[in-house]
Amino acid sequence: MAVVQINNVYKTYHDTEVEVKAINGVTLSFNKGDFAVVVGPSGSGKTTLLNLIGGLDQPTDGEILIGGHRLSELRPSELIDFRKDHVGFVFQSYNLIPVLTAAENVGFIMSLQKWPKEKRKARTEELLDSVGLADRHNSRPSQLSGGQQQRVAVARALAAHPEFILADEPTANLDSKSAESLLDIMEKLNRDEEMTFIFSTHDVRVMKRARRVITLEDGKVISDEIRS
Amino acid sequence: MILEIAWKNVWRNKTRSLIVITAVTIGVFAGVFTIAAMNSSVVQRIDAAVNEEMSHIQVNNKDFRSSSDIRNVIDDYPALKSTLESLPGVVNTTGRIIIKGIASTASKSTGVEITGINIEKEKEIFTLYEKLIPGTGSYFSSETKFNTAFIGEKLAKELNIIRYTLTGDALSKLESDGVPAEVVAKLGSVRDQKFPTDKKFSNSVATLLTPAELKNFNLKIKEAAWSYREGSKVILTFLDMENNQTGAAFRVSGIFRTNNDMFESLAVFVPENELRQLTGMEEGTYHRAIARLENDELTDNVTPMIRGSLPGYEVLSWKEIQPDLAMLADMMQAIYGIFMAIILAALAFGIVNTMLMAVLERTREIGMLAAIGMNRRKIFSMIMLESVFLSIVGGITGMAVSGAVIAATAKNGINLMKYSEGMEALGYSAHLFPTIDVQFFITTTILIVLTGILSSVYPARKALKLNPVEAIRGE
Amino acid sequence: MTDSQLAWKNLWRNRRRTLITAASVFFAVFFALVMRSFQLGTYDRIFKNIVESYTGYLQVQHADYFDEPAIDNSFEFDQPLVDKLKSDPNIISVIPRLESFALASAESFTQGVMVLGIDPEGEGEVTNIRNQLVKYRLSPEAIKVLKEDNIPQRSKKLLDVFENESYSSEGRLILDLSIAEEDTVMVLPVLRKHASFRNGYISSGEKGGVVIGDGLSEYLKIGIGDTIVLMGQGYHGSSAAGKYEVRGIVRLPAPDIDNIIVYLPVSEAQELFDARGMVTSAVLKLHSNDDKNVNQTGNRIRKKLREPLTVRTWHELNALLINQMEADNRSGMIMIGILYLVIAFGVFGTVLMMLAERKREFGMLVSIGMQKGKLAKIISLEMLLIGFLGLAAGVAASLPIVFYGNARPIKFTGEMGQMYSDYGFDPVMPTLLPDTYYLWQSLVVLIILLIAIFFSIRKIFKINVINALRA
Repeated sequence: MAVVQINNVYKTYHDTEVEVKAINGVTLSFNKGDFAVVVGPSGSGKTTLLNLIGGLDQPTDGEILIGGHRLSELRPSELIDFRKDHVGFVFQSYNLIPVLTAAENVGFIMSLQKWPKEKRKARTEELLDSVGLADRHNSRPSQLSGGQQQRVAVARALAAHPEFILADEPTANLDSKSAESLLDIMEKLNRDEEMTFIFSTHDVRVMKRARRVITLEDGKVISDEIRS
Repeated sequence: MILEIAWKNVWRNKTRSLIVITAVTIGVFAGVFTIAAMNSSVVQRIDAAVNEEMSHIQVNNKDFRSSSDIRNVIDDYPALKSTLESLPGVVNTTGRIIIKGIASTASKSTGVEITGINIEKEKEIFTLYEKLIPGTGSYFSSETKFNTAFIGEKLAKELNIIRYTLTGDALSKLESDGVPAEVVAKLGSVRDQKFPTDKKFSNSVATLLTPAELKNFNLKIKEAAWSYREGSKVILTFLDMENNQTGAAFRVSGIFRTNNDMFESLAVFVPENELRQLTGMEEGTYHRAIARLENDELTDNVTPMIRGSLPGYEVLSWKEIQPDLAMLADMMQAIYGIFMAIILAALAFGIVNTMLMAVLERTREIGMLAAIGMNRRKIFSMIMLESVFLSIVGGITGMAVSGAVIAATAKNGINLMKYSEGMEALGYSAHLFPTIDVQFFITTTILIVLTGILSSVYPARKALKLNPVEAIRGE
Repeated sequence: MTDSQLAWKNLWRNRRRTLITAASVFFAVFFALVMRSFQLGTYDRIFKNIVESYTGYLQVQHADYFDEPAIDNSFEFDQPLVDKLKSDPNIISVIPRLESFALASAESFTQGVMVLGIDPEGEGEVTNIRNQLVKYRLSPEAIKVLKEDNIPQRSKKLLDVFENESYSSEGRLILDLSIAEEDTVMVLPVLRKHASFRNGYISSGEKGGVVIGDGLSEYLKIGIGDTIVLMGQGYHGSSAAGKYEVRGIVRLPAPDIDNIIVYLPVSEAQELFDARGMVTSAVLKLHSNDDKNVNQTGNRIRKKLREPLTVRTWHELNALLINQMEADNRSGMIMIGILYLVIAFGVFGTVLMMLAERKREFGMLVSIGMQKGKLAKIISLEMLLIGFLGLAAGVAASLPIVFYGNARPIKFTGEMGQMYSDYGFDPVMPTLLPDTYYLWQSLVVLIILLIAIFFSIRKIFKINVINALRA
């Protein structure tokens, strides 16, 4: 079963009188263990596609399935819960809750899912360790560097065992060293845990590491390259 | 978790939060303290009415109130007394003889209500004996040849028993009391002059001093000049059991001072035996029985019980005798609620404004939360809790401050007497001892939480309307 | 673009905040104005009621009478005096009174009473006396007949409760017997038939007649036609004694007075107290009763009068009442003061937030060349505008309520309303039309704004451009 299945999806906006076909017929599927990147110029529909994949938006036509679940069957309020349980997000910035420590941020989704305290603590330690930040568990976001913040975000995204992680320009605000560091970790997770990663990016550094590159233009997929 | 996040969010912008909290503190303090001050007046009035004037329950002969005929006595006082004392809540009873009459001295006469009392029993029920003005004698002394009476200051003034005169002693007392030497010197020109009324005295003094000196020392000077010739006599005239006019000279054994001018000018207390001798009333008969209850709150429950057990008599509680008092006490809670609500409504504007800013600054963060799975209810709760925390912190501080100030002023009170002789005429003390009961604090807390909740509605709705998609991408 | 236009435009950049801040000012102003309006209107009405029902606006008295109200401090009341007073343009008529204390007895009962010598015809111009005459009495005989006649069951039961009560107005009778409005038309004639009270009155020509209070008549057990003896101390210590016939009975709403009042013509009172030609006070009825005219008239008359006469205004005559009103007034002002204080904090908070938020903008403006002074001016204008918006809205919203409340005041009904009517007062709670108190509210708002502006200006001048740009 595909982790994400996109079937003939369309997304149309009505911007005052003009009709904008942001996504104009896209069919894709992502499998477990994919390390994929979606690229394309501004206006290609990249953002929109990612919003649809992440369940942040619903298509005007067509069907999206995540882990076999049909998104169309979900009401907006149910979508939020769905995302909580099935999708991990890493944004370009503003990933973390400023008033919580790194550990608390990682544990956030878990506490929303009402995990017992012990289990939460254990998994948090495990995750922070896997992103190399075990010693910073008590630090607030303002006390961490950009790269460290993004790593915590990754740990948080993994916490609830999502189907995949959606990363929207995760390296855009980072210097090379931090960016490479972050990507190393993501690759490692992808290899060791078979965690599916779907990126949206302009960043060459990310594109170099991707094993699958999907190019969008004018709302359509114009190429879907698998690399080794 | 939401609780923790909300609490921490409040402190993100310390300055802003502190301003709102300070505003709430001031508003709550002002509201609570003002009401405590007003409440104290009412509480004191009720206290005085119950403990000095009426006590809790009056039982009269059925016809007595309408006709005041001396013959309308309570038929069987001992039986009445034992019935009363058998009822739960009644702790003490006494009987009173009540006669309308005239009190006169050489220069004046006026109508009064003469109350014949059992001297010792009355002390158990009424605290009036404590209101004796020091230096005017005593409540009643045991050995007297004459008939004696215990009267109020207002009556004493009306009958010209009280004079105003600045003796040498009074002048030196003023000096040691802090009045400057030049002022005392000026007053020397009316030394030992006797003034029959305080108006005449005040007018004289006013011609001697500057307005500023008057304002500062007038009260002290008046008090020092207040003098009373011990053993003054008053003639009391009234009707006896045969409807013949009778009376006698009574020596004033002491003068009492309360906050109730009306009471002071009408009430004359006399030992019951002396009245019996003069009127021919039989031993053991009274016009009125007084019952004291364990506490004020029992009044509503006990009165009907008493009424039921004594069908042949007129039974009245203090609330029925002075319904305006009872009403006032009940209204206090309502007045307070409304007053506090208005203050909090004013504060709400500030809270809404603050919360709005807090939400709009965090659009990206809130979008992110919605994206990763925080549902609408949780986001709403978070905002609402931030708002409630703001108001509660301010509220608790405000209540704490008012509690402290109330405790501090409880000892010495706030003396407004300079400004309020009007209040005293109605029986309200102008020397306030702010007091408040727990109920007020509970009401306040509820109102504060409500304010926090209601203020959060608009900002929270704004937060929920945020589209996570736009929020995140909002570059 | 002028500074003011710029200021105005700036306000609408953050519309929400502008509106909320203006709304808070609006709330305080509106509330304060409406509350003050009712409060002041009520005081005003209470004063009018009391003054017009007893003391009048101006009284001529012996200078010592005020401090010592005794018959020895009476003064001579003759035609020349009346003419002198009436020659004043503001005075319509002069109503004399001779007030003193005496003992009244009938059969075997004695009571201290207040003897009021009045001008039976003229007194009505100052007080309500005619309307206070008893019109109905529920005597035992009347009750017996009424019980058999056609009145609602509920009222029949209440008849016993009010046995022997006297009524000077139908309103009170209807209320006491719990007669519904629809039944009034049917029941009143029945009441009139059986419970009417034959009453009389006194007149200046007549001798030997008095009108007494209902409470007094009950205590002394006398009615119309019975004899009452008055004894006491007269002018300069002479002894006073006289025998009179009760010609009329009034029912005054204040029981303490109702139980002791005896009215008789001035001439009779003068004879009783051996005070021929003397009165204790002369009430002046005026054309115009507003404060300014009353004071001016008082001053004019005072100059014309020879010692020991003087003029007392209603302020002096009702000093106690004024004191009580003042206490109440002050507590009202405190409440409003607290309200404004709280709002002030809100305004300050908003201003602070606004300044912090726009730090960058200010830094930018100053760096590109705007004088700090000019910037301060624009910000000040913004704040004044917000304040005025709230103020104007508050005033505008209050006006309809104030005017309506004045033209059609809230009416008291039921017990409270009847109580007012008993005293001869209009049972209403009116508002006070816009007056200086409107100006006071505006002043307070202005002060709050000025303080906020002061702090803002200080902050603006302290701006360090570089730090500001980095915000």
